[in-house]
Amino acid sequence: MSVWNPDNITDVAESVGVGTLQKDVVEHLARDVEYRIGQVLEEALKFMRHGKRTTLGTQDISQALRVLDVEPLYGYESTRPLRFGEASIGPGQPLFYVEDEEVDFEKLINAPLPKVPREISFTAHWLAVEGVQPSIPQNPTSADQRHQELLPKGPGANPNLAAISGNDNVAVKPLVKHVLSKELQLYFERICAAILDETNDEYRAAAYASLRTDPGLHQLVPYFIQFVADKVTHNLKSLFTLTQMLQLVTALLDNPSLYIAPYVASIVPSVLTCLIGKHLGSPDRDGPTAHFALRDFAASLLASIARKHGQSSSTLKPRIARSCLKHFLDSHKPFGTHYGAILGLQGISGSAGIRTLILPNLKAYDLVLEQGIADDQKKEQAQVVVAALMRALESLEKDAVNVMNGHPEGNELKEKLVDTIGEVLGAKVFETGRSSLISAVLEKDTTV
Amino acid sequence: MAAPSSSVQRNNLLYRLHLEALNRINVSTAASESIRSQSPPFPPPVSSIRLPHRDAYLIPQVLEYLAKKGYSRTEAMLRRESAHQDAEGRPIITRAEDAGGDAYFKGYELLSRFVDNVLDIYEPELRRLLWPLFVYSFLTLAADYYPKDCSRFMQTYREPFEKEHQDDLRALSPITLPEHVQTNNIAQLYRNNKYRLTLTNMAFTTLVQYLEAHDREGGSVIVNLIHNNLNIVTVDRVAVGAERSLTKLLNQSRESDVPAEDEGIPGHNPGSANTDRNAPPVLAKLALGPMPMEPDLMEDVKAELQEHDAANPPAPGRNSLVEEFEQRIKREPTDDVPSRDTIPYPPSLARDVQMEVQKIKENRDRFKIEGRTGGVGPGVSVCMFTFHNTFDSINCLEFSGDNLLVAAGTSESYIRVWSLENKPLTSPLDAPNSQPCSSRRLIGHSGPVYALSFSPSVALPETTTTNGTSSNISNLTSSHPHYLISSSADGTIRLWSLATYTNLVVYRSHASPIWSLSFSPFGHYFLSGSADRTARLWSTSAISPLRLFVGHDADIEAVAWHPNSAYVFTGSGGADRSVRMWDLQRGTAVRLFTGHVGNITALSCAPNGKVVASADDRGEILLWDLAAGRLLKRLRGHAKGGIWSLDWSVESSVLVSGGADGTVRVWDVAAPEGKVGEGKVVAEGGSGTKVDGQGTAAAKKGKGKEVAVSADQISAFPTKKSPVYKVRFTQMNLVMAGGAYLP
Repeated sequence: MSVWNPDNITDVAESVGVGTLQKDVVEHLARDVEYRIGQVLEEALKFMRHGKRTTLGTQDISQALRVLDVEPLYGYESTRPLRFGEASIGPGQPLFYVEDEEVDFEKLINAPLPKVPREISFTAHWLAVEGVQPSIPQNPTSADQRHQELLPKGPGANPNLAAISGNDNVAVKPLVKHVLSKELQLYFERICAAILDETNDEYRAAAYASLRTDPGLHQLVPYFIQFVADKVTHNLKSLFTLTQMLQLVTALLDNPSLYIAPYVASIVPSVLTCLIGKHLGSPDRDGPTAHFALRDFAASLLASIARKHGQSSSTLKPRIARSCLKHFLDSHKPFGTHYGAILGLQGISGSAGIRTLILPNLKAYDLVLEQGIADDQKKEQAQVVVAALMRALESLEKDAVNVMNGHPEGNELKEKLVDTIGEVLGAKVFETGRSSLISAVLEKDTTV
Repeated sequence: MAAPSSSVQRNNLLYRLHLEALNRINVSTAASESIRSQSPPFPPPVSSIRLPHRDAYLIPQVLEYLAKKGYSRTEAMLRRESAHQDAEGRPIITRAEDAGGDAYFKGYELLSRFVDNVLDIYEPELRRLLWPLFVYSFLTLAADYYPKDCSRFMQTYREPFEKEHQDDLRALSPITLPEHVQTNNIAQLYRNNKYRLTLTNMAFTTLVQYLEAHDREGGSVIVNLIHNNLNIVTVDRVAVGAERSLTKLLNQSRESDVPAEDEGIPGHNPGSANTDRNAPPVLAKLALGPMPMEPDLMEDVKAELQEHDAANPPAPGRNSLVEEFEQRIKREPTDDVPSRDTIPYPPSLARDVQMEVQKIKENRDRFKIEGRTGGVGPGVSVCMFTFHNTFDSINCLEFSGDNLLVAAGTSESYIRVWSLENKPLTSPLDAPNSQPCSSRRLIGHSGPVYALSFSPSVALPETTTTNGTSSNISNLTSSHPHYLISSSADGTIRLWSLATYTNLVVYRSHASPIWSLSFSPFGHYFLSGSADRTARLWSTSAISPLRLFVGHDADIEAVAWHPNSAYVFTGSGGADRSVRMWDLQRGTAVRLFTGHVGNITALSCAPNGKVVASADDRGEILLWDLAAGRLLKRLRGHAKGGIWSLDWSVESSVLVSGGADGTVRVWDVAAPEGKVGEGKVVAEGGSGTKVDGQGTAAAKKGKGKEVAVSADQISAFPTKKSPVYKVRFTQMNLVMAGGAYLP
């Protein structure tokens, strides 16, 4: 039956003086009333829609009534939703009514004026700049919009869009599942165990031999590299592990049947860590200078990588050189780092690199060296760095074109050397007394 | 009621016996015939057929009596008659039509069972039959006075249509009585028009065969309904080609909530506005090219440009302004441009020259959006203006063409104009010592303001003038829009001067609230769309409309101009949901586009004049090719609730939209490679569809609210709880968006 209660019709009829209405008539009227209400609502919804609102208001109803040529209901004008009260007139017979506050006139007159509502105002901000939404307070954060479907999905969608919009941290699932055979998994586990076994040298040697020569390891390369990266990051205190990891990388690089080029970018960080890491190994256990051997190893490995793969990646060498130089120039880093950086630069860029990158900075570096030598604790380390620098300078000698036609003698020469490369190194170079070395160092003056 | 009529029945029988005894003549069973009549004007006396229980054994007793007495013919007669009655004396109904209201239940049940079980290739087409038959069955039930059956029918079968036809269902569901059918707009629309539906031959044949085979179970009811109310156009699947190809149809079944282009009440031959089924397949030719310039104006502009070129020579590698201008004029062939004589405009002023010059300059200097380059759409910058403390009272927002003013129409019947640069808005009528303010109120309407439109203007940089001192004032007067028009629920349109901020003219003619309003791209004329189902063309200089565009079956909710001002577009809501294109000069409809499933909320024609975009409150944007009169594509992504505004980039390559879901979205308009039709199939179908289809189907099952975003979307920028009321591309291809913050 109709939702509208027919009793209401009877009540209204009685109130206007129609005493008896047949049941049929009442039902008919009830249906009609229901329909008319629907009609008014339908019309009111239009007004709501054009007011760009989502809540239907009393205003909408009166506008709708006006359009339908009905006198609007007065007295309900309010932007606030009406509150309905409920009263019970008997068991199961709730009565609903609009709550109408009683206002004390006296109070209303004497009450202070209510606050003036705030003026409508506008603010401007960039919702998007060149297709990217800037993260400013006026824009919603990515957490706010998670529930919204903002970007196209499916095969037709453009994968670049997500990256451009800055929410590219979507986990990308590889198209093909990487399947490793049982054998390979077992092999991988064994090799890793063997390499990390400090007690069994034979076992380890066999593992390296296998890595160096086995032709079928290509599937495992990413896993090994991941393994290296993992171990290096977590075992900075263990020189043994670090050395073994470098060994592992060497073995992989040596394997003629592996195509390593795509993985170079992920190998380099681990090797660099071993080269210029701040604190490698524990001085208590291994002795204060043990890490230099590791750095030597890493430097030579890095140099060989750069030599082999420098061509395939144009940015590889500059990137390594840049990070080495940065660490070399940072005087707060320990001598170990400086040592590694020097070796690295030498390995990467050879004598030309030393001439252009290290030589000009030696004067400034002298201060660090002097302080280091003066400090008892650091003296040993500083000496090693001096030796490394000397070696680097000596490498200059080899391919220096001796264009200088003689140079000053004695103290004057020493002064000049000190002026160029600093107190400590200047003295050292002077002591060697090799004229070719001296001229190679001083050549800078002429070239620059 | 039961008792007296059963006694009538019994009296009848006795009377017949009496006659038999006296005259031995046959009497036709008129009484029972009248009971069976198909559509009684009053509630069918269903209960009257029922005999009281004690009468159940009456007939055998009478037969026995007759046999005993030897009235053999009467006995045979009575036997024959009672064979169609069950044990309780009710007639056994064999034909479905005789079942009263139940007939429609049976028929509809039969049809939906058929559609569920029919071959996959016919199913999508035949499924479209269910909605019109549902409506017509329902309306017939109501009109034939079966109030209970009527609401029961609605309750039982409405569920599958809840998604697509929510609004119609809401409007129809209160109908229970014949009077309602007579007065309800939507019911009338359905009953007075035939619902057009296209089926392929085979599908239609299968349907008819099935219905005839199941004639008795309700097939005939359905056949009647189809015959009376539907206009089924049968087409040959092969002949129609790709549009109804199997792939296309199977794809459609996935998005089955989308009607075909020619389906519906204003069903028509796609493209043509001619709804006649036998209309010739010739489309009215359109002149979509840009309006030619007035010769005098052209000369002036050229002279001015030459001056500018001389003063600031172009950077190397760039066109000079004159070259740019020549290109712009020459670009179009002459055959598709409208004639200037047909639409008279007032003679151009110095201001027009300046505006044209600036347009040429901007055309050369702007950031060009050339569509998807390198697979990624262009990066669009959006400047958002958020209005605070509005308490949801802002109905509409409008930016002026020179980007200096913003106007808001409120539900409190006033209009408020702000300066976007926070400069004081002064008027010569101000009291001498009044405080200058950066916003003004325009008061005059007596109902909520629903639409605003600024007269055209172009942003002129202040440096353009050569003499620095007096330039400011002359610039202000020349580049400012002169007028603002507004429309309201009180049925009036008001013209406001933006020099004095006063009301100049009131245009009265519409009988109902005016939902939409738009100034012509060249000023002087404007168009209004109203709830009285008409759109009217006005000139600012006359207080009565110049043209009435009549034809929509429901409120006109959105209007837009073609950029050459020779055509206008109207979009309607309610049950009509069509977009129509009208010839301004002749006042006739030249195109009709159907295919929306929601009320149309925004319309916008591309600056190149070839495509019109329409958006509805279900969050879909449809692009229509004007010349061919066909749907180009559907753009989905907005959530439900209305896309309030659409605008095109100057190159017509990018569309931007803003809506109630609080996002600004940027869409790639350029159709996929190849032909439009085929390209679309490739985009939707092809090898990848299977995965996609399953994905979306699963998503639909999982969460009903999820909206699949189409791949044409370049980007979406959400706002903080601010529905976007207005988006606008400036001449320099920057997007301005406006919305109200609703915490």
